[in-house]
Amino acid sequence: MTMITSEGSYRHLYVVVEHEEGKPIPVSLEMLGEARRLMDDFNKRYSSNEKVVAVLLGNNVRKLCEELLFYGADAVIYAESPELQYSRNLIDTKIISEIAINKECVAKISPDYAERFKKPRYMFFAADNIGRHLSSTVLVELESGLASDINKLVIEDLEIKHEHKTKGQAMTYAKTLEMYRPDFSGFLWTTILCLDNRNPAIEREYHPQACSIIPGVFQPLMRDSTRSGIIVEHVPKLEEQDLNVKILSRKIIKSAVDFDTSKAIISFGRGIKDLPEENIKLIEELAKELDAEIGISLPISKKPYIASETITSKYMVPDRVIGTSGRRVSPLLYIAIGISGAMQHIAGMKESEFVIAINPDENSPIKDECDLFIKGRMEDVIPILIEELRKQKLVMEVKK
Amino acid sequence: MVSLNTAVIIKLEPDFSEGNVSYNSDGTLNRAETKSILGPHSAVASKAAFYSKVKVGARISVGTMGPPIADYALQQAQLICDADELHLYSDRIFAGADTLATAEVLKTGINKMEGGKMDIVFSGHRASDGETGQTGPQTAWKLGYTFLGNVIDYDIDLEKRVVIAKRLITLQGFYDIIEEVEAPLPVFITIDPSYKPVFNTVSQRLAFVKYQKEANERAQNYKKYLKVFNAQQLGVDPKFVGLPGSPTIVYKVEKIPKAKASRKAEVVDASDREQIRKVVMRMNEILGGMVIK
Repeated sequence: MTMITSEGSYRHLYVVVEHEEGKPIPVSLEMLGEARRLMDDFNKRYSSNEKVVAVLLGNNVRKLCEELLFYGADAVIYAESPELQYSRNLIDTKIISEIAINKECVAKISPDYAERFKKPRYMFFAADNIGRHLSSTVLVELESGLASDINKLVIEDLEIKHEHKTKGQAMTYAKTLEMYRPDFSGFLWTTILCLDNRNPAIEREYHPQACSIIPGVFQPLMRDSTRSGIIVEHVPKLEEQDLNVKILSRKIIKSAVDFDTSKAIISFGRGIKDLPEENIKLIEELAKELDAEIGISLPISKKPYIASETITSKYMVPDRVIGTSGRRVSPLLYIAIGISGAMQHIAGMKESEFVIAINPDENSPIKDECDLFIKGRMEDVIPILIEELRKQKLVMEVKK
Repeated sequence: MVSLNTAVIIKLEPDFSEGNVSYNSDGTLNRAETKSILGPHSAVASKAAFYSKVKVGARISVGTMGPPIADYALQQAQLICDADELHLYSDRIFAGADTLATAEVLKTGINKMEGGKMDIVFSGHRASDGETGQTGPQTAWKLGYTFLGNVIDYDIDLEKRVVIAKRLITLQGFYDIIEEVEAPLPVFITIDPSYKPVFNTVSQRLAFVKYQKEANERAQNYKKYLKVFNAQQLGVDPKFVGLPGSPTIVYKVEKIPKAKASRKAEVVDASDREQIRKVVMRMNEILGGMVIK
């Protein structure tokens, strides 16, 4: 086994926090929760004292720091300036990268580790519109690896034998972060590792081991206002050329798709494939009867089927995706039509009050996620449902 | 008189459209049976570049890293954006690259386009297969260009040498935000799937028709515009590309284990009308008050 001398150069887990309107966004607290669980276990197993360090940029954000401690951070490094009011990739990347290699900040958090400190051991970002890009650029600046859209994390000592990384030799990589990401189908899990090249021909250290984390996957800790920690201010150098993007305006818009106030949501998946146009029209009709909003599974947003432009542009759009790559919903009634039930989709609808699935295949995973499973083809089932709904509505009106 | 140089970075991806895509019985993609095409997000990026040609007569270069057959994606992109040159970065040693190692190749390639004088580089939002969305911003950072992500619309002010762009920001648990920004050239833009170019003036519409015709002709003879570079011709350090240049590795791929059943489903036979009647009554009950005795 090779002894790695650089081991002490990489310490702590840094979590890059995002916020809006003076509040951390949920995924930031979820990341802190998972970071806390991982590092508590890490410190116990390795008899060490490495920290969860939140990194916070913004304008007047000092008051947010305690909040991050309450949700699990041991320390917060923050930088504030009116120039940092809204996220801008260039300046944010510079400052976060500066913070990540800053020994003085580490000295205030854990003096023992400061002298040899080079970079964080691990680093988390949110897999959202801001964090996805920020993680990409920061990790180029820090010259290390990045895995995206992670929904499970494990830290372990791994024995690795790799053509390039170890020149085919078996070597132990201690404290390796296993980053699990579901693939686009939702059925496969890929574990990504970020490993130093120990092959002498290409020797290189790759730290931090970093990833972006899917919002809504991990549980935040309960807010505990008795928790305390260290708060460190980093005063950034703001150079003119790093501030060259001017924000001219910011407008808040609401999605045209209303999943939040609809009592019923009907969503469809690849099961529409035999007659996409006709089936979607049937679903539209059913939705009208139930006053339901319409959602889709992720594969549908890739427009895999030929349908009219009206149907395609209205329904096969990312805005309607329910699941980890889209929205999370919790209506009173959720009807999944032609959806097999990939984990990614389930994560987006499992909080629904009552779930009905329409599917010809009793073996599809959705059966374990619904209250009523209507076994049949949608082409046959939906028309009967519509007919029955209309009949019962008529009875109601007559009774009135 | 050309006053603007535009590049597009594209990718050959599995074709997810019906009839072309093939899934295994376990729901995973059957790569051997699935055709490859210009990725849909790459196509949107190509449209965005074409707008710069119609608007200000930009010269357009398209680049991709991939196997020799990726020239098909370049041809399809040329058909969309009337590219003036096509670059294929193809070498066995590029295979297996993660996003950092891919960005190294693309950066080097872009610096070879138009003598390294690029003003705007476009890339898609993310690839349909890899779906990381990292390659664009990583290439941007390596180039040292200002990065603008999630751009749904943009315009160019040639006099001021700036881009005005609208960006869509969606945050979990919050509203969506449209942010309008101004950035000096050069910029690297990842274009949102919702982007749709608008050609308002008569001269723009005329230019549109002219360049579209040209694009058709060029794409038929796309090899005339194609330059293929291997690692040596590109001048990249083999240590920084492909597997050796990738910090990350795929350690394992497994089926996501089936979660424990969270609900116990009552199975209804769709052909039984009485059962369906009960299902509908149930629906009405759940949705509030419509109880039928």
